[in-house]
Amino acid sequence: MFSFLKRKNQKNDRKIQEINNQNQSNNRPPNLIESSLSKNLEVIKQKTGNSSDIIIRPLKIGHNSQIKIAILYVKGMVDNQSVQDFVIDSIMNNQNLSEKLIPQEVLEILIEDVVAVGGIKVVSDWEKLLTALMSGETITLIDGISKGVCASTQGGQRRSVQESTTDVSIRGSKEAFNESIETNTAMVRRIINNTDLWVESINIGKITKTEVSIMYINGIAKNEIIEEVRKRLKGIDIDGILESGYIEQLIEDQTNTTFPTIYHSERPDTVAGNLLEGKIAIFVNGTPFVLLVPALFIDFFQSAEDYYERFDIATAIRFLRTVIFFISLVGPAIYIAATTFHQEMIPTELAIIIAAQRESVPFPAFIEALIMEITFEILREAGIRMPKAMGSTISIVGALVIGQAAIQAGIVSPAMVIVVSLTAIASFATPSYAVAISARLVRFIFMVSAATFGFYGIILVFIMLIVHLCSLRSFGVPYMSPLAPFIREEAGDTIFRRPIWAYKKRPRLISGQNRVSQGEDQKPQPPRTRIMKNTTNVEKGEPNES
Amino acid sequence: MEKAKISAYQLFILIVLFELGSALLVPIAIEAKQDAWLAILIGMVGGFCLYLVYHGLYSYYPDIPPTEYSQKIMGSFLGKILAFIYVLYFIYLSARVLRDFGEMLITSFYWDTPLFILNTLMALLVIYTVRKGIEVLARTSELLFVLIFLLGISVLFLIVVSGIIQISNLKPVLEEGIKPVLKTTFTQTLYFPFGEVIIFAMILPYLNRPEKVKQIGLLAIGFSGLILASVMAINVSVLDVNNITRSPFPLLSTIQTIEVAGFLERLDVYFILITVIGVFFKMCVFFYASVVGTANLFNVKESARLAFPLGLAILILSITIASNYSEHIKEGLHVITLYLHLPLQVIIPSLLLLIAFIKNKKKKSKHSKNLFPKRKYRLVERDKK
Amino acid sequence: MNHNWILLFLIMTSTVFISGCWNQKELNELAIISAMAIDKNEDGKYVKTIQLVNPVNVAGGLQGGGSGQSPTVTVYTAMGDSVLEAHFHATSKVSRRLYHGHANLIVISEELATEEGIIDILDAFERDPEIRMTSRVVIAHHTKAGDLLKSLTAIDKIPAEKVNGTIHTTERARGESMEVNLQDVVTTLTSAGKETVISGFSLKGDIQQGKKIENIQQSELDTTIESDGLAIFKEGKLVDWYQGEMSRGVVWILDKIQQTDVILDREGQENILTYTVLRQKTRVSADTTNDLPVLTVRVRAEGDIREVRSQIDLTDPYEILDIEKELEKEIKKQLENTVIRTQQNKSDIFGFGEVVRRSDPKKWKKMKNDWNDTYFPNLKVNVKVEAFIRRSGNRTNSYLSDMEQ
Repeated sequence: MFSFLKRKNQKNDRKIQEINNQNQSNNRPPNLIESSLSKNLEVIKQKTGNSSDIIIRPLKIGHNSQIKIAILYVKGMVDNQSVQDFVIDSIMNNQNLSEKLIPQEVLEILIEDVVAVGGIKVVSDWEKLLTALMSGETITLIDGISKGVCASTQGGQRRSVQESTTDVSIRGSKEAFNESIETNTAMVRRIINNTDLWVESINIGKITKTEVSIMYINGIAKNEIIEEVRKRLKGIDIDGILESGYIEQLIEDQTNTTFPTIYHSERPDTVAGNLLEGKIAIFVNGTPFVLLVPALFIDFFQSAEDYYERFDIATAIRFLRTVIFFISLVGPAIYIAATTFHQEMIPTELAIIIAAQRESVPFPAFIEALIMEITFEILREAGIRMPKAMGSTISIVGALVIGQAAIQAGIVSPAMVIVVSLTAIASFATPSYAVAISARLVRFIFMVSAATFGFYGIILVFIMLIVHLCSLRSFGVPYMSPLAPFIREEAGDTIFRRPIWAYKKRPRLISGQNRVSQGEDQKPQPPRTRIMKNTTNVEKGEPNES
Repeated sequence: MEKAKISAYQLFILIVLFELGSALLVPIAIEAKQDAWLAILIGMVGGFCLYLVYHGLYSYYPDIPPTEYSQKIMGSFLGKILAFIYVLYFIYLSARVLRDFGEMLITSFYWDTPLFILNTLMALLVIYTVRKGIEVLARTSELLFVLIFLLGISVLFLIVVSGIIQISNLKPVLEEGIKPVLKTTFTQTLYFPFGEVIIFAMILPYLNRPEKVKQIGLLAIGFSGLILASVMAINVSVLDVNNITRSPFPLLSTIQTIEVAGFLERLDVYFILITVIGVFFKMCVFFYASVVGTANLFNVKESARLAFPLGLAILILSITIASNYSEHIKEGLHVITLYLHLPLQVIIPSLLLLIAFIKNKKKKSKHSKNLFPKRKYRLVERDKK
Repeated sequence: MNHNWILLFLIMTSTVFISGCWNQKELNELAIISAMAIDKNEDGKYVKTIQLVNPVNVAGGLQGGGSGQSPTVTVYTAMGDSVLEAHFHATSKVSRRLYHGHANLIVISEELATEEGIIDILDAFERDPEIRMTSRVVIAHHTKAGDLLKSLTAIDKIPAEKVNGTIHTTERARGESMEVNLQDVVTTLTSAGKETVISGFSLKGDIQQGKKIENIQQSELDTTIESDGLAIFKEGKLVDWYQGEMSRGVVWILDKIQQTDVILDREGQENILTYTVLRQKTRVSADTTNDLPVLTVRVRAEGDIREVRSQIDLTDPYEILDIEKELEKEIKKQLENTVIRTQQNKSDIFGFGEVVRRSDPKKWKKMKNDWNDTYFPNLKVNVKVEAFIRRSGNRTNSYLSDMEQ
């Protein structure tokens, strides 16, 4: 009922906010731009609180410089070059303009002839005009006309395209998204050069008005899911969107789970690959992380590189990752269960050694594990936030002072240190950070259950975890598919990675009707004839035909 | 009835896990001595026949559960009483499975822990799962089936490698003739575990491809029968018949006998894993059927609401069902086979089928159009899509 | 609906926390038993000896610390009217919970086995879920069972491991003892057609010396324990000890020989040739057409020549054939001796009864009750041996043949 209550509350909140909005709009000056330039400028100054980074450049043009116009832009948000060259300069030096008398004509010429910028639009209400101004467009207002001309001159200093820091790969494209949504969508477009790659944009956030774009391949993505994404995005009513994490938490299917049901990536090639499977990408301005829906559990164990390596190697690595994830979940739990409940399953020699090590340890194994785990979590948290230069200090303190000294002081046993470090390394080796942190959390549940009921506890929690995972859905798609429900033709791309030539169809639950992804007989075959060897016969046949 | 659909493959796995559930635990058919595997196989054939009876009923009423079609066949009053008896039967059986399991854990691993606690944990897990509905249960089964399959294969591999199988223990076949084997079949293996498939009559209406019900059910029963028979044969060949008759959990004893390469020994954990998963599904299926049956009988809209009270009832029943293990086993093998399993698994379903057959024949002569109720259902299904 | 969830969560967490530590036992709070021994004293009480591992001393050696200061095991004894009572009394002497999960050896004294039999004492072992059915069972020969556990051993730090290891190696390399575990003992005790055989172990030297750590601080130990023959049981009571070739005969007929040496006398000279069996297969079959079944033991052995002390021409295939014939005769003779002695003991340790039962269950039913006393001693047992020499090691003929020329 909690979630239900929450939802109700949200609705109530929304209603209140709507009422507030209406109140605000009642107090506002009239929504439409007026024809007097000075009044308009006054309104803008008042609305922006006379902010110093808003540049207002009044000009006089036309015959005898009779017509007053003003050019407005925000310092730093615009590309100075284009504002200077293509807006101000062209307006001042245009021959046609200097002969006109009527503002209406000036407007037309401005749009058609003068402003040499790609994106240009005419708006007549304040709301749009101000949003455009705030997002880095250059506004031209003309005295006597109740409209504004917006030229898209967004620019300014952005981080350049750099190598990915979170999804590192050895093979494959090195570039990663940056904070600019235009760059990001363009990077995907550069990979998928197709008219069917469609982008829709909306602004989300009452105050930030962040630009959010949905990108999908028309004809591959399922319409129901696209509609659902639109619906959920439109339903968001929040002050600000600072990162795609906001969106993620506002549109996921189920909130009471530690597992991510939306995938995020920093790599254009990952996004392109997922788009080709029929998924939908959500770009948020100001963050290099692009969301992908629907996300399946198995997606979090795959990296873009899997598809670049040959299938046998990729399959082996994926197996390894499954084992890694398993270790990072239950590693300490199994150690606790084995040493406190099922000692008989440890080989005798090992049992004796562990017993000898534990001889001086005053705590039960569970407490010992907890101490080590928490110590490790502290170290990790410290390591992430520390300036890079301090990183090595942390590792020295962690490894030497705590690890070595704790053993010598008899607070923990060496075996426990091995188990905890192995688990820690395993959780770093999980490809997706999002899943690795949920594993970190679930690990403690496993530890508690192991400490109270041994393997019985572990297996019960494990079953519960599986039931929970199976009950999750991501945008209507069962989270554990294609393993459960098992879809045979897609199970080849889960823990296994079948050869590229065997990807005949797109995922059934994700993509729409159009599922054939490649032609028949894509498996490469060596030439059957001796043509390749016998160079004299090359002209007779195509060597690659088989 | 919740609005859910499960696939044929999911049904197959559910039946297999259900059949293996507690049957892997206990020494089934051990009265037939070293021919236990034979008794299981004959029981499996009997299971086929019983399944065909249940399927016959299903094909007359493909989209309603037995608690509802019993009312259509027997009339509202008698049918309701019958449905009530069946729901009680399902509840009782799930309590039995829970008790079996708890006893196993206590005897072998957790002798200091109260039965109530061990059962409570399992019951809570089952309640949690059943509340999530049949689809989640089916999906879970798909994943855990892979795990149990891998475990099974590795145990088999270890048993073979450690060289403890002595085929000679299985000989002589039919030492005392076929009689004791048949007796065991008809007093035990036919009902437990094969007759218990009657529970799936409650779940069949959820299948998304009704035309496959028969084939899938028979396949699953056959598959699980073969596994059970071979497991029992392995038990006998490893442990010798005398040891099995004295051990309450033969598979555990077999696994304990494994010794490979000096360190792969004492693999009791394997046994815990296999049985917890198996019993979990058996419980879930029984419990789900009880919950859905009760909801259906008393017109409760949201069947998940019943999970908690019914689960508590089953938990308490599982503790109070018998005061000690011998009593529990004696009840299970001798009392309920005769007074519960035989009438409820064999006699009543056959009678129902007979009545349904006659009723439908009358109808058929009246409206000769509606020859095959199944086909009609298929058309309806297609329209839905 | 969510109230239920809160309730469910509360119940779950409370069960988890209340339940705390029912079966929980920390590894360092356990007294790990490595072996147990059962004796009977003059008062007719059972004496249970338990050998506990001192983990620190065992592991200390591995971690570079000296292991010389204190022994790796500690032994406690306690008395009682039943095995379990003796066990209870032992618990009052140990500060930790006695833990059987790693006990891998059960020693039974010869005296107890001969006088009272082992039937009465095994139930406690079989019933306890902590005790493994794969624990090895050994009979103490010429010594008290408890003393066998008290003696410290070199190389193997834990004496129980030394016993198990020795039996294992002896079985593999010589075929004169057999690894028998608790399960095997119980199985043969309950089977009508097969009697029990258990390996023997004995203590050489003075037990008072053996207890001291000085004993293992020398290159040659004053007191050692070693594998010693097979104990033959009849209906749970020890009736005979087999040694050397006699015990190997038992292992051979039971088809458990993996490697063994057969020494051949030839042309009047003794021990002239040593033949090592590397592979063998023994099959026992029964012919039940007559009233008294006829048993056939078929042995097929393959191996190498390992030692030659005369001028035999090993390059000559005919010579090899001759040797094979003689080997067959020798093995046959040994096996027949074993069978005859066992028939005199009236104890079917070979499982011939099982063979008869499998081939003719109906006849077996009639013979079952008198099998050991009436039928088994009078059985006709044919032994058929095939021996093959495959290779002769790193040399063909012995250097002896060159020296004579």
